[in-house]
Amino acid sequence: MPAVLFQRVLGFTGRIVTLFLTVGITLLGLVALTFCIGRLVPIDPVLSVVGQKASEEVYQRVFLEMGLDKPLWQQFLLYAGKLVQGDFGTSFVTNRPVLSDLAGFFPATLELATLGLLIGTLVGVPAGVAAAYWHGRWPDYLIRFIGLIGYSVPIFWLGLVGLFIFYSRLDWVSGPGQIDVFFQGIVTPVTGALLIDSLIAGEGEVFGNALSHIVLPAALLGYYSLAYISRMTRSMMLDQLSREYVLTARLKGATEYRAVMLHALRNAAIPLVTVIALSYGGLLEGSVLVETVFAWPGIGNYIASSLFRADINAVLGGTVLVGAVFILLNMVSDVVYQMLDPRSNLRRR
Amino acid sequence: MRVERLIGGAMIALALASTSVLAETPKNTLVVADAIDDIITLDPGEVSEVGGVLAANQIYQPLVSVTPDDSSKIIGVLAETWTASEDGKTYTFKMRPGLKFASGNPVTAKDAEYSLRRVVAMKSRSAFILTQFGFSPENVEERIRAADDMTLVIEIGDTYAPSFLYYCLSSYVGGIVDSKLVQAHEVNGDFGNAWLKAENSAGSGPYVLTRWESKQSIMLTRNPNYTGESGGLERIFLQHIPESAAQRLLLEKGDIDIANKLGPDDFGALEGNPDVGFVEGVSGTIYYMGLNVRHEYLARPKVVEALKYLVDYQGIADTISRGTMEVHQTLVPKGFLGAIDYKPYKLDIEKARALLGEAGVSGEFTLDSVVWNTPPYTDFAQAIQATMAQAGVKLNLEVVDGQQWLERYRSASLDIWFGLWGPDYPDPHSNGKAFAVNQKDAPDGSTGLADRFGWDAGKLSQDAMAAVREQDTDKRRAMYEALQKTHTDISPFLYMFQQVRKVGVKSSVKGLVLGQTFSDDRYWNVSK
Repeated sequence: MPAVLFQRVLGFTGRIVTLFLTVGITLLGLVALTFCIGRLVPIDPVLSVVGQKASEEVYQRVFLEMGLDKPLWQQFLLYAGKLVQGDFGTSFVTNRPVLSDLAGFFPATLELATLGLLIGTLVGVPAGVAAAYWHGRWPDYLIRFIGLIGYSVPIFWLGLVGLFIFYSRLDWVSGPGQIDVFFQGIVTPVTGALLIDSLIAGEGEVFGNALSHIVLPAALLGYYSLAYISRMTRSMMLDQLSREYVLTARLKGATEYRAVMLHALRNAAIPLVTVIALSYGGLLEGSVLVETVFAWPGIGNYIASSLFRADINAVLGGTVLVGAVFILLNMVSDVVYQMLDPRSNLRRR
Repeated sequence: MRVERLIGGAMIALALASTSVLAETPKNTLVVADAIDDIITLDPGEVSEVGGVLAANQIYQPLVSVTPDDSSKIIGVLAETWTASEDGKTYTFKMRPGLKFASGNPVTAKDAEYSLRRVVAMKSRSAFILTQFGFSPENVEERIRAADDMTLVIEIGDTYAPSFLYYCLSSYVGGIVDSKLVQAHEVNGDFGNAWLKAENSAGSGPYVLTRWESKQSIMLTRNPNYTGESGGLERIFLQHIPESAAQRLLLEKGDIDIANKLGPDDFGALEGNPDVGFVEGVSGTIYYMGLNVRHEYLARPKVVEALKYLVDYQGIADTISRGTMEVHQTLVPKGFLGAIDYKPYKLDIEKARALLGEAGVSGEFTLDSVVWNTPPYTDFAQAIQATMAQAGVKLNLEVVDGQQWLERYRSASLDIWFGLWGPDYPDPHSNGKAFAVNQKDAPDGSTGLADRFGWDAGKLSQDAMAAVREQDTDKRRAMYEALQKTHTDISPFLYMFQQVRKVGVKSSVKGLVLGQTFSDDRYWNVSK
């Protein structure tokens, strides 16, 4: 048996090595590309620091301070060298290390995206199944129509309308911002996610207030991802429901519930994992529009506003983070694949 | 499972309950909504973004300032008296006794000396306001000096109207820092800049900085050592709410006290709401078009003049700005010394056509115009495009992001720039220098807008310098009046509008004072 064990260990190490190489190369490529784009866009990073009125002398001083006199490849090597050591540089807008900026802004997005995805999945998958089951009948049309609105109406507009109805008129939720001014600075950040931190601190009121602030933007993101998830579920379910094994199951006397929910959905779930993972990735990038309308201090706004000021370190840091998130989600969905589909495991062996 | 559901339900109920109870801002806190994600520093020596200047203005105090409703009146803040020598080159400031910084340190002439010197020595981006008096890192120790603890002496290189220096000192770079505190935090000769950029403050003003979450919020708390006039609140909370419609909803609900970034549409929607009021103020900010005279056609004065007849000034002010801009066609803003009511241009297609003909331009021609992608630029640029087209002038509108907009202006790779100019201090020279003085006449050798657009202002350039050197205020006023008319007539600057500041406030908010320059809003007497 030791030979087999050895093989397994080797296989395992090999996989880990391959994984790290792939991740490393992907991230490096991402950084290189973003760096080039950041330097090629017609935004002058010096000008965005010194503004319109500063003298030429000041311009030159900042130009040198930013190291822009060096050739592009040298600038990149310098940056990449520091990056490898875990130094993401400093954002010139916030004057803080990019890493601590990301640690500050990402949890807000993580909270929002996770809640949004939960809503999107918990509503979207059943809706998709229902639409496929009653294919061509009114529930199908209704679900598709609702989905279409969520997908095609600009989300910032939905956000403003949502604020107008649920915040301004009905008073069901709180307005833009992550928390009321009353509760500013009560909870000391542990994870950075306000909902979790307030629970840890046992501050029920803060939690409630934060929840009432997050409900609307999360529901909106949920609606947006629901539109996509339900449509994909529908088409995958349609595909599965027309397969012979479903027919066989029905012929053998399986209940409709069993045939649809256990047989067909189980098979449709596998590609659905990718759809949901990608949706999650999309939400974790941060929705700039939702974050703007709801004044949400998330990563989307952080990256966008940094981009507009040519704050290249911040942009690169944000890009690496988003890239890492996507890679991680891909890996997670691989694992879930294997759990759902025993064959993918067999093949590997 | 059931228990969890119950908890969840209770939490949501709690959330809903808490909102309806707390639909008011805290009594002791002034909540201000603004777009503040661009602030990179609150160090008074280099602060420059609108929101940053706004916050710094509550924290730091200058030697002298102006009364908000009459900018011709200089008032002492940290200085009690100020005098100019006969030749107008030496100024003596006597400090007001008994003042303290937030740290408890006394405010002395040494602090003023340190603060002003550091702006020059740091080569800060705002240093141009001081260096135009001839200060350099080499000579500043000699020219700005504390004679004793209570006396500051400033020697300038040239003779200027005394009020010009006072106005410059009243602007944001003139904020005096606590030199003991700042010096204690100097690192590698940075004059404490890194420390002041990182959530610290060292001022003597009504408020101190307690928290600054970059791109999110700024919290200011009352300075216990402040002895000046103050009926203001305990705290000011400046929150980043970029969206105008969101600000409006928050204001309607009473969740904010002041909305600084409302657009024309939202003003309309808020009118008639008894819970909301407006505070208006004259802003010195001017909207103009800069014409690059390096362009073959724009080099012809008749073409430039023709373009001035191709803007529907009043129409745009009435329909697009809706009370946020008014027609203004000269370089000195209304409210400043020497301002005149001179509006020679209105939309006149026939006259423009005739002028173009006289200039020898036949047929259509295209001008590349760079427009910032924010309102109101995008709106009025389109209106201007339409009227210009009627005389065969095709504007190719390039709508770009703010940084790119600056970059295009700096490199002068454009024909027309849709620009704005906000004066840094309430002296007409802020604009006179920018629009009329060429590099060769500028004592500090700096370039202005005239150079950027390739225009030789000729005698006007010398006239503008003569006006800032004139010691007699009445004569000085007359000089600006004369200079402006000619400038409006012949310069390649197409002045269009002056901004009208309009801020939405909760109707209970009293005592808000809006400044004439973008840097001068005063929150320290606001109550609610």
